[in-house]
Amino acid sequence: MDVIKRKKELVQEFSPMLEKSTKTSKVWIAFLVGVILVGLVAFVIQVVKGHIVTGMRDNVVWGIYIINFIFFVCLSYSGAFISGILHFFKTPWKNSVSRIVEIITVLSLIIGPIFILLCIGRLDRLYYLFLYPRIQSPITWDIIAIMTDLLGCFIYLYLTFIPDFAMLRDNSENAPKWRQKLYKTLAIKYYDTPTQRETLHKITRTMSVMVIALAIVAYSVLAWIFSLTLQPGWNSSIFAPYFIIAGLYSGVSVIIIAMYLIRKFYHLDHYIRKVHFMGAGVILLIISLLFGYFTFSEYFSRWFSHKIEDVKLLDTLFNRYFWNFIFANYIGVLVPVVILFFKKFRTIKSVTFAAVIAILGLYMNRYLIVVPTLESPYMPIQDTRPEYIQYTATWIEWALSFAGIAAFILFFILIMKLVPIIPMSGIIDHEREQKRKPHLSNNH
Amino acid sequence: MANKKTENGSENRRNFLRLGLMSSVSAVAGASLISNLATGEEKKASGEKVRVLTPDGKMVEVDAESINNYPEAVITPEESRKGIPDKKFVMVIDLSKCKNARKCVEGCQKAHKLDDHQEFMKVQLMQNNEEGSPYWLPKPCFHCDEPPCVTVCPTGATFKRDDGIVLIDNERCIGCKFCITSCPYSARTFNWGHKEKFDDKSQPYSPETQVPAAEGTVMKCDFCPDMLRQGKLPYCASSCPMGVIYFGDKNEDIVTNGTETVSFSQLIKDRGGYRHLEHLGTKPNVYYLPAVNRQFPVERGFDVDEEILDRYKDVPIVKEFKEQGKL
Amino acid sequence: MRTKIYTLIFVALAFLINTKSFAQEVNLKNYRVRFGLSTTKQADNSRKLEVSYIASNKKDRKDRVPIYGADINFYNVTEDKDILLGTAKTDKEGTAQLIVPAKQAYTANAEGYINLKAVFDGTDALDSEEDELAIKDVFLELNLKEIDSVKTVILNAYTLDSLQTKIPIDETEIVFSIGGMISNMPIKREFVSDGAFKFEFPEHISGDKNGNVDVFASIIDNDNYGNVIQKKNIDWGINKQITHETNKLWSEAAPIWMYVVLSILLIGVWANYAYSIKNLFDIKKEGKELELKSQNEN
Ligand code: SF4
Ligand code: SF4
Ligand code: SF4
Repeated sequence: MDVIKRKKELVQEFSPMLEKSTKTSKVWIAFLVGVILVGLVAFVIQVVKGHIVTGMRDNVVWGIYIINFIFFVCLSYSGAFISGILHFFKTPWKNSVSRIVEIITVLSLIIGPIFILLCIGRLDRLYYLFLYPRIQSPITWDIIAIMTDLLGCFIYLYLTFIPDFAMLRDNSENAPKWRQKLYKTLAIKYYDTPTQRETLHKITRTMSVMVIALAIVAYSVLAWIFSLTLQPGWNSSIFAPYFIIAGLYSGVSVIIIAMYLIRKFYHLDHYIRKVHFMGAGVILLIISLLFGYFTFSEYFSRWFSHKIEDVKLLDTLFNRYFWNFIFANYIGVLVPVVILFFKKFRTIKSVTFAAVIAILGLYMNRYLIVVPTLESPYMPIQDTRPEYIQYTATWIEWALSFAGIAAFILFFILIMKLVPIIPMSGIIDHEREQKRKPHLSNNH
Repeated sequence: MANKKTENGSENRRNFLRLGLMSSVSAVAGASLISNLATGEEKKASGEKVRVLTPDGKMVEVDAESINNYPEAVITPEESRKGIPDKKFVMVIDLSKCKNARKCVEGCQKAHKLDDHQEFMKVQLMQNNEEGSPYWLPKPCFHCDEPPCVTVCPTGATFKRDDGIVLIDNERCIGCKFCITSCPYSARTFNWGHKEKFDDKSQPYSPETQVPAAEGTVMKCDFCPDMLRQGKLPYCASSCPMGVIYFGDKNEDIVTNGTETVSFSQLIKDRGGYRHLEHLGTKPNVYYLPAVNRQFPVERGFDVDEEILDRYKDVPIVKEFKEQGKL
Repeated sequence: MRTKIYTLIFVALAFLINTKSFAQEVNLKNYRVRFGLSTTKQADNSRKLEVSYIASNKKDRKDRVPIYGADINFYNVTEDKDILLGTAKTDKEGTAQLIVPAKQAYTANAEGYINLKAVFDGTDALDSEEDELAIKDVFLELNLKEIDSVKTVILNAYTLDSLQTKIPIDETEIVFSIGGMISNMPIKREFVSDGAFKFEFPEHISGDKNGNVDVFASIIDNDNYGNVIQKKNIDWGINKQITHETNKLWSEAAPIWMYVVLSILLIGVWANYAYSIKNLFDIKKEGKELELKSQNEN
């Protein structure tokens, strides 16, 4: 039974990652916990004093919270989308990244909605959403979509974890009791029999399709929160696909960055290889071109038809937000395109750099969609109070935003301590395939 | 019970419109008021002090509220969803008479216990283009017939009643602010922090008065249904010294500004009434009469506090005036 | 009636225990007091007597202070004695009102004038005040008729002499108006001679939801007659139908198709979840059987 032996080998190979905590990782964890604690303090202040402590006022009623919300939720949807596609099409190099993608999906789907809660003035009445639902409201759709998607992603993620849990259960005699117990429960008596394997494959496959479909619906619903209003900068029919592309843009970038960091810190050069970065780089190139194209269409049509409100908005963008606009929509698109377009520029580092630029640019792009629009409504803002005219985020808002990012990274690290970041079952499957049809595979 | 409103000849009435005794005898559901008591009819103006002379020669300032309370007239949130039967309220604002006196703003603020600068009624200085003639635009909530704010509310906290009024129940509102981003007319305001006055529960809450307000919820112009139930004009309309604001029932086809009562449809027809940003399809219930044949030059409106004047600094005419040193 | 009593008690209490109020002595010399009586004969033939009692600053015209809570007595003055009609207190606008029922018989003088008087008895601080009024009792007869299918408003106005003969009134301005919720809308204003007037009812009057219109005829502030109001209700309105829309985006219930689409979507997705979970249980069951088997074998 060489499969069993191989399984043992793999568990042995990955268990140091699960068990040992290095000094750097401890420092990191402490730092992240610190950031989260600052965020909690900010949260308490906001709850006690009310939204007055934020920079949001009657015109800009949604600030960076909603931007974080869109950012994380889009990240999640794109994770689901990518992972669904990887599974469904049995992409050859999926194994090394699929788990990273799945974890990103679930984590950002948990963290994103927290930010929308921060926008809500009366958290104590949150259950009214279910007590007095109105299905005409895009918010209701969004809540349904997020909840459905969250459950779907959980099921899906769990399905992909089961074989690994089974392997860990069978091969971690030395692990602490609680771990053994946990693995045993989570593995739900999966023994990798042919029928079990087949059932699991079947439902994973349908769930992967489901998750893709859900991601598209959820993306659109999220975009509709903005585009179904009459606001000049939001009321746009391309917002739904635009959000899908933007989400994928951030999704692929985050995956690249995560791959880079994991590879570096866990020395997984053997599994996460240059070819993965190159592949991801090409995908990022395609998406960045699409993203640039959508951004261009969006602003170009506003500029060309120059309705008075659109002109007002563009004026704001090109004056007060000039550098932000340049960064978001020129640098944030063109730099990744240039780096990724020329083959000789494509190295692991440069692809990662392009991804970082892409994420920052995209975040700024979201900011420019939300804030300047709210600052230039149909009726001119004529107010005596300066804070009602222009939005500036306060430290409370920044603290909570960074706490969100910290929580994301922290949970990522913790999950990696529970299951190997490279699906062991995937390696087994792959080797099994390879034995059957050796010509099919060219990596590993 | 009927509420009789009586006016006796007041000087500022023009001759033809001298309508003493145009008493309206319309029964309005929900509020029963006392008409012929010695204590008679009183204005329900919250927080207002009234100075009176007592028979023993003392000048006394009394809280208007304490002598004006209609215990039965409180409309609960549930009740306030129904609306006043068979009515369809409409407002007409005559821009040719507005000189930014800001009395409407103040009257409304006082009645709704709003802070400085928190305004249900905003007076904006509009100038549609560089050459365009600037004019003052008093802007309440338009109580749209296709209200995007109501459509997007996830809890039904904001709702449109059968009488056309769009209200907010601040006991239902979760403060998601979606309605604020959806209103193309920037009619809504939010209670960003806690204020002491929110704790004053001496007056039971009703969406029709929006008092007491609550932290983390939305507010806006409510068309003053509490006044309408008494057969009276909204505060803004009755406080305007120029009679700019007409109010009435579209079904009845009658609007009045307190001194002049006319047919709504006739007024709109004769004066070229229009609705602001009609192309958005929100179907407002506030109509404007264009600022033609003005009674005042626009600069009459610059006679306000520096603070207020500062709001209009971006309007071309204000810039022009400043350059010429006229301001 | 109960409301009245409650309100009265409430007002009295509120006034007594009002801590926020403060008193201040004023120099009443600076104030000129106005005390005016007016009367209105209402549509139900009752008569409203109203006193307005206001002190206004001699120098500052805007400084007007109503006298609040003053007792006013209303009398019907006859040659030999004053008949008390009733008493009322002034409100915070300085107005005292008394409604005298229709059946009240007034004593008129030889020329047919009814003398009415309002009296404030005075206090240590305020002088006594008194105002008198002499008016004739006018009857406005309002008829609304379709004459040759023309909707016509017909008015007859007269007084009665001591023998109950009708004497048409002359050269008196009469205002016709349509009842409104907040205030009435005038449709005609006319000096009537010979006590009769008729005119065509205007088109496009909306009326209430059943097309009912209140038509008013009134005499306002007349030296001889005071105020007189007459009213008739008729279904001459053009009866605008009020429609209430349902299942709109903004109404409480959504458009039907939304429910349908949402249900289909949700059922589809959640059924799939259920299917996946059921399969997981199948896997578990198989694993359990496997465990049992291997245990047995051992
Ligand atoms: S003006 Fe704004 S708040 Fe008022 S009803 Fe219309 S959309 Fe709603
Ligand atoms: S803020 Fe309140 S009223 Fe506005 S949409 Fe949200 S729940 Fe409704
Ligand atoms: S209608 Fe009432 S709430 Fe609206 S602006 Fe006028 S006074 Fe304020």
